Amino acid sequence: MTTYQFFTTAWTWNSIVLSLVILSCVAYWLAFGRRGRSLYFAGGIVVFLLALVSPLSALANGYVFSAHMVQHILLVLIVPALLLLSLPRSLTLGSRFTYLTHPVIGWAAGVGAMWLWHAPALCNAAATSGTVSAIQTTSLLLMGSLFWWQVLAPREEQRLSPLAGIVYLFTACTACSVLGIILTFAPVSICPVYQHPVDRLGMLSTIRNGWGLTSDRDQQIGGLLMWVPMCAIYAAAILAQMARWHSPQPERSSA
Amino acid sequence: MTMFRDAVLDPAKRAHYRLAWISTVDHKRIGVLYMLTGLFFLVVGGIEALVIRLQLAVPNNHLVAPDRFNQLFTLHGTTMIFLVAMPLLFGFVNYVLPLQIGARDMAFPRLNAFGYWCQPFGGILLHFSILAGGAPAVGWFSYAPLSETPYSSSPGVDYWAIALFVLGLGTISFAVNTIATVISLRGPGMTMRRLPLFTWMNFVNSFLILIALPVLNAGLAMILIDRRLNGHFFLPFRGGSAVLWQHIFWAFGHPEVYIVVLPAFGMISEMIPVFSRKPIFGYEFVAASTVAIVVLSSLVWGHHMFTVGMGRALDLFFIITSMLIAIPTGVKVLNWSATLVGGRIRFGVPMLFCIAFLIQFTLAGLTGVSHASAALDWQTKNSYYLVAHFHFVFVGAIVFAMLGALPYWFPKMSGRMMSESLGRWTFWLWVIGFNMTFIIQHVLGLNGMPRRIFTYPDIPGWGWMNMVSTIGVFFMGAGSLVLIWNIARSYFYGKVAGDNPWDAWTLEWATSSPPPHENFLAVPPIHSRRPLWDIANPDRPDPVVGDDQVLLPDHNKAGILAFLFSEVGFFGTLILAYLYFYAHPQAGPGPKGLDVQRTLVFSVCLFASSFTFWRSEVALHNQRRGSMLGWLSLTIALGAVFLGGQANEYWKLFQSGVDLSTNLFSTTFFTLTGFHGVHVLIGLITLLIFLWLAWEGDSVSAKFDAAFKCVGYYWHFVDVVWVFVLFTVYILPLLR
Repeated sequence: MTTYQFFTTAWTWNSIVLSLVILSCVAYWLAFGRRGRSLYFAGGIVVFLLALVSPLSALANGYVFSAHMVQHILLVLIVPALLLLSLPRSLTLGSRFTYLTHPVIGWAAGVGAMWLWHAPALCNAAATSGTVSAIQTTSLLLMGSLFWWQVLAPREEQRLSPLAGIVYLFTACTACSVLGIILTFAPVSICPVYQHPVDRLGMLSTIRNGWGLTSDRDQQIGGLLMWVPMCAIYAAAILAQMARWHSPQPERSSA
Repeated sequence: MTMFRDAVLDPAKRAHYRLAWISTVDHKRIGVLYMLTGLFFLVVGGIEALVIRLQLAVPNNHLVAPDRFNQLFTLHGTTMIFLVAMPLLFGFVNYVLPLQIGARDMAFPRLNAFGYWCQPFGGILLHFSILAGGAPAVGWFSYAPLSETPYSSSPGVDYWAIALFVLGLGTISFAVNTIATVISLRGPGMTMRRLPLFTWMNFVNSFLILIALPVLNAGLAMILIDRRLNGHFFLPFRGGSAVLWQHIFWAFGHPEVYIVVLPAFGMISEMIPVFSRKPIFGYEFVAASTVAIVVLSSLVWGHHMFTVGMGRALDLFFIITSMLIAIPTGVKVLNWSATLVGGRIRFGVPMLFCIAFLIQFTLAGLTGVSHASAALDWQTKNSYYLVAHFHFVFVGAIVFAMLGALPYWFPKMSGRMMSESLGRWTFWLWVIGFNMTFIIQHVLGLNGMPRRIFTYPDIPGWGWMNMVSTIGVFFMGAGSLVLIWNIARSYFYGKVAGDNPWDAWTLEWATSSPPPHENFLAVPPIHSRRPLWDIANPDRPDPVVGDDQVLLPDHNKAGILAFLFSEVGFFGTLILAYLYFYAHPQAGPGPKGLDVQRTLVFSVCLFASSFTFWRSEVALHNQRRGSMLGWLSLTIALGAVFLGGQANEYWKLFQSGVDLSTNLFSTTFFTLTGFHGVHVLIGLITLLIFLWLAWEGDSVSAKFDAAFKCVGYYWHFVDVVWVFVLFTVYILPLLR
């Protein structure tokens, strides 16, 4: 299969994913209507589809480790952040959830989402089994939401103070960088499935020879993606905290 | 002044005065000591530079032998970074930062003195190597395997590593102190959002120090273990990795550039507004871009290693991050320039140096961005183009900022102004000399002249360009002599300065010059970023920034947490090094041979000791002395059992013929568990001291409570580190 053929045909129109998307759109509209910030919501849905329906998903399913990493980053950092931002500013959680919104839980969820799913056994399972993959996707979205809640919760008083937020984000960035560094420099495969993929789509020779993506280089790029762009996302969030800290009109008053 | 002369004349007073300086814990005196040490080594490093340039002035020169030349540039680089730039900058910070926030002193005055005394001690250690069989001749980065025993058998590298370790400890204690001071000792109304930029940048910079320096310290420990105990970390023929040393060194080395440039940025951010008679343009952007620099600076070290052959994927990412970091730096340059626009500029000597800084630093940034491109870097890496680039950063930016900051803050330190006319002489001699020496080196580099060569053949053009470069050094040397004369003369005969000679707006100008021992008789009210402007212009004060409420956490807690933060980097580096080698199969003893069950039992003891310590704290809180002593004794016993277990494991390994030099596994194993063991041992000794104090009945004071809490943080931290070590060393092989 050539690259062109691949990008035109390898869209996985998974009925569960599509019905979930439609359901959540309806639910969002019913729950928040005009109060919601639907542009963020639409962005979240688009990125979600990009991660699970586009050829990226086909590559991530057992072919290319770095594609898996892109999918991972989108699901854990981008989609939850956009969804949290789409909530109306007046929203409050029931008191049942307070223990979930402790910063330690959020931090552990955000960092755990990175480390846990890159244990070789789990990483392999998620890349080969549809069920495990679905569990993975769900858990990434949930853990990402818990992580971002600390800085992107709808109400100002639910968020960490800006300086605490910087510490929170910076330490998370460091913890993920360490994993990225390990993946980048590891001489053995962390996720062996990607070393010898089952060639379901007849794409392997294009990937290995056409794109020049050997399994070593693939893992290296995967590690670098976790290390550098991931940290860039955290760095952007840190700058947003600085901006929030220095904003002349604290949002506290408007909340 | 007259006081000083009396002191010089009267022997009794003189003795007291000398002792007062040696035993001082006053931040102002320590700041001055830092600066004098830096100036002394500036002369040393400058003479080294002069000899280097004299040797290179003409082709085929034989003024110094090749090996001596290697020693010279190694000492020159190490001296200028660790013994000139850092102490000079830290001296300014030490003197000015507590004054700027309205504090009486640094948070830990004795730690401050310790940090200072590490500097001359480290400097003497480094230079003592000359007498002890030869200075290091391996470059300031000490690349392995050249720096390993088979290739550098003289003890020079050992002295180099130990000296840097000592200096690193001093630097870390300085950073811990700065963080605790800014967090806990701010005056009334001085909220974090109102900090002067010099203070803010040095506060943020201290975190960068805590991130970067421990990585170097871990690397130094490894290279010393290689050299003294026959370890294998960086020796390729024994399975080690020379590239790992480069990664470790530059993971420290690149942030180090920002560690020395951020304080310089802070100085510029203070001087430009004062001499333009305008507030800084975009305070928030200057402050936030500093944070961005700190975060990004630990992601760019690979651009020092493009020529190593890391592979295209790594090159590509490091190219992108290296270009990214130019953005926050460029934001700063734009802000400083915009501050100048429309200001009533006074061209005093500090301002002249600020303007020179802006121009030279922008040029340094441009050649820096060119190096971020790996393709260009491959061509110019080992040439004088690179030498020119980093001297533009170190001299054109950092030294010029300090040369400006000296006349700016000298009146505060001495009570007298420095001479403007002599200052102009220094300025022009330095600017002309600096540009003569280093602009031409760009051309030399692009013409193919490699760096680190002791001489060169008579290639057309090279001779005269090198001669121009050498002549420039004499201008800088003359400028330095004028500067030293200016300092000495102004100290005795300068115009009396008064409290605020520059009409500046930050707090250090609100007290007398020099400030009294306790700094302030009364701290003026603070509602904005320019408190003295508000006092001078009550009719049009600056807008109030935020609310006045100041939160001041306990400085002991801030200090110990900052210190433990640095320990994370140290152990993190050791664990990563362990994992790096663990992945390669080794001949000989391996992790499978370790007795996991036994270790688990002893680990439980260690973990339990965290619990017993907590109980002891609770007992102390409830003032039940007997219970507190009991739990504390149990904690010590459990810790001792753990250490005993470790010692027993070591003993068994030694019995079976396994020691640190056996293979790569044993090197990494003993290093990682050994350093953890040392930490447990230090914790035990501290706990014993506390047990003794409590036994003596000293446990009732609030001071004891605070200190006991700090030991607790340390003890729990050591236990948490063991969780990671236990998992990495003992559990991971079981999962394979």
